Amino acid sequence: MSTIALRSVTKRFPNGFEAIKDVSAEIASGSFTVILGPSGAGKSTLLRLINGLESLTTGSVRIAGTPQVKGNLRETRRRVGMVFQRFNLVERLSVVTNVLTGRLGHRSWFGSLFFLFRREDMDIAQETLERVGLTGKAWSRADKLSGGEQQRVGIARALAQRPEVILADEPVASLDPVTSEEIMGLLREICDRDGITVVVNLHQVELARHYADRIIGLNAGRLVFDGTPAQLTDQVLETIYERKGMIDDQRLELALAYA
Amino acid sequence: MTKGWNWRWPTRSGLPPLAAVAAVAGVLLMLWLTAPLVEIDLHRILGSAGKMAAFAGDLMVKPDWKYLPQLFWKMVETMEMSFVATSIALVVSLPLGLLAARNATPHVLVYRVIRDLLGLLRAMPELVWALVFVSAVGLGPLAGVMALAIVTVGFMSKFFAESIEVVDPKQVEGIAAHGAGWIQVRLFGMLPQVLPDFVGTVMYVLDHNLRAATILGFVGAGGIGFDLIMSVRLFQYDRLLLIAGSIYLVVTALDHLSNRWRSRIIHGAAA
Amino acid sequence: MKRRLVPGTPLAPRPRSLFPVWLAAVLALLWLIVHHLGISFETLGYGVTDMGEYFSRYGRPDFGDLPSYLRLMAVTLATAFWGTVFALVVAFLLAPLAARNLSPHPLVFRATRELLNVMRALPDLLLALFFVAAIGLGPMPGALAVGVPTAGFLAKFFAESLERVDAGIYEGLASTGANFPQVVMYAGWPSILREALGFTLYILDRNVRMASVLGLVGAGGIGAALHVTLSLFDYGRSAALILVMLVTILLVDYASAWLRRRLA
Repeated sequence: MSTIALRSVTKRFPNGFEAIKDVSAEIASGSFTVILGPSGAGKSTLLRLINGLESLTTGSVRIAGTPQVKGNLRETRRRVGMVFQRFNLVERLSVVTNVLTGRLGHRSWFGSLFFLFRREDMDIAQETLERVGLTGKAWSRADKLSGGEQQRVGIARALAQRPEVILADEPVASLDPVTSEEIMGLLREICDRDGITVVVNLHQVELARHYADRIIGLNAGRLVFDGTPAQLTDQVLETIYERKGMIDDQRLELALAYA
Repeated sequence: MTKGWNWRWPTRSGLPPLAAVAAVAGVLLMLWLTAPLVEIDLHRILGSAGKMAAFAGDLMVKPDWKYLPQLFWKMVETMEMSFVATSIALVVSLPLGLLAARNATPHVLVYRVIRDLLGLLRAMPELVWALVFVSAVGLGPLAGVMALAIVTVGFMSKFFAESIEVVDPKQVEGIAAHGAGWIQVRLFGMLPQVLPDFVGTVMYVLDHNLRAATILGFVGAGGIGFDLIMSVRLFQYDRLLLIAGSIYLVVTALDHLSNRWRSRIIHGAAA
Repeated sequence: MKRRLVPGTPLAPRPRSLFPVWLAAVLALLWLIVHHLGISFETLGYGVTDMGEYFSRYGRPDFGDLPSYLRLMAVTLATAFWGTVFALVVAFLLAPLAARNLSPHPLVFRATRELLNVMRALPDLLLALFFVAAIGLGPMPGALAVGVPTAGFLAKFFAESLERVDAGIYEGLASTGANFPQVVMYAGWPSILREALGFTLYILDRNVRMASVLGLVGAGGIGAALHVTLSLFDYGRSAALILVMLVTILLVDYASAWLRRRLA
């Protein structure tokens, strides 16, 4: 049961900027949710509030009923895996080691500082690498891989945590359209097979329509839409992206590229 | 993929990477082999903590305030030594640096010879040069200034040469294409590009030379060093703290000043 | 109709540059200082000719005591090595605390940086003096005297390198639930390993020079021997000692530069 419950979440930065204004939503366990919105709408911030990379100003975030507090940050992050736009792998380390870092939340003993892992961790790493199809490149240095491959390593790292939730912050923004479809497909498959709750930030509306169970629209820190892809009409899109007179889908895509 | 053990390293064989093991083992071996040379004695180390505490206690005496004027002038002398040595070295290093730069030198042989010569100048620590010069010109700040100047020339010339070697060749070509003479090309084409780094180097050198100048007096080459070593030998701890404190203060103050100046001048010059 | 290229007034007057003022001030200062120091350029002029004669006295090095010189040089090298290793261990522990984007608390960051500044400000020889006075004679206080400021330099360099690592890489690791030592160990050190090693080799090189003069304060090594031979005006032996030092330092220079090239 890994619902994510956001109640009246507000985030104000020290310089006064209010990135998230009173957002409430309930993300069902095992669902695939996409967050849409223009640049600067707060999509990244919202995601990072869920795993504690940003701290809440007011409101609460509960994962599977457990509220997130300063004390249990490590425990929260163990249960929530994250995939990043720029992959955020340690470039000089091998693919295997990068995946193994997903296990660090579970291992706090001294040996982990000497790069020592248990056999079960190695098995988990192998399994996730098979899952994302990268066993052939297991021992390569992470920065020698292509963009799509690096992102798959990022996903493997998240999977290695055996998470209940996977957050993905613009996971395909740096990838070409074909690879983007592969990555989104992989994420969707993980959601279906393992029952992991997946929340993805995207700016490609078509991908959202194609893969999401549910779409959340964010604009200037406020929740402006919460529904199914079917309910995502052009009028709704206008509200999300605040553009008048855009009806044609394709033109919208272009406009969104500049949003 | 998994072998018999319960714990593994993230490598194909499960053992730690060879380079890391070799490096660590090598260092440990060297330490063990050279321990007798350095007279590492565990008893002494443990005992020394007590001795150091006792010594620190001895230092806590009332400072000899009457010593302050002499201290002040000695510190001034130290700073002056650093300043003069750096200035002399600056004047010598500019042409030498040009000759030691592959793209500015008149002939490859000149470049080779000068580079090697500079390496020799740099190789000896300032204090050794100071010993030699004290023997040559007698006690006093002159020996110290000469020692500092020589080593500084070695360092500054090499640095200038390296800066000159990375100038933008297009800018130099532009000057040369207008029929500029040999010196003019270097003066107007290369030197202006090197200026910001040049200033940074001079600041760093001034700072370094001040620290070096504080100890040249150990061998009688001028500066506060002589007073310093004497205060220890004669157990004049009331002076020792004052001297050490003032050295620390002056060095730190100059550090801050030079950092601030460096950014001001570099950004001003680049404008 | 004649057209003027530059219509109207001639070029505006060149803005006043303060540079000549600065130059004059510096030169005046120099003149004052030289006077104060009592350096007479006349005696310097006479001195230059004397110099030639003086340096020729070093022309016949006397290697009679070579084995003892070599041993002293070995002690110097060992002192530099121990001091550097000690500094490396200390820097390894302190550097993450002195990195703004890694340090667990801004106060810890500030305090560590200040500590490192203090460690760097003290000249090695001054520290050697203290340690010898406190612990006694021998190379061990010398190794400590080399180690403490070196730790300051190394830690500051490491900290600045750690700060330059992309923040995203640290975040990627933190998002898995890794704690502070784990983030430092997996994201920090591997990312800066090359530069860290290069700088350490450079410092080791520099420390050999430092260590060779520690003998002057009783902290072991070859410096004391040179002082003795020079005060006895034994130029033959002094020349031999200087040559031994020179050759060793040059060798270490080459080795260090070669290793650093292989790392790059």
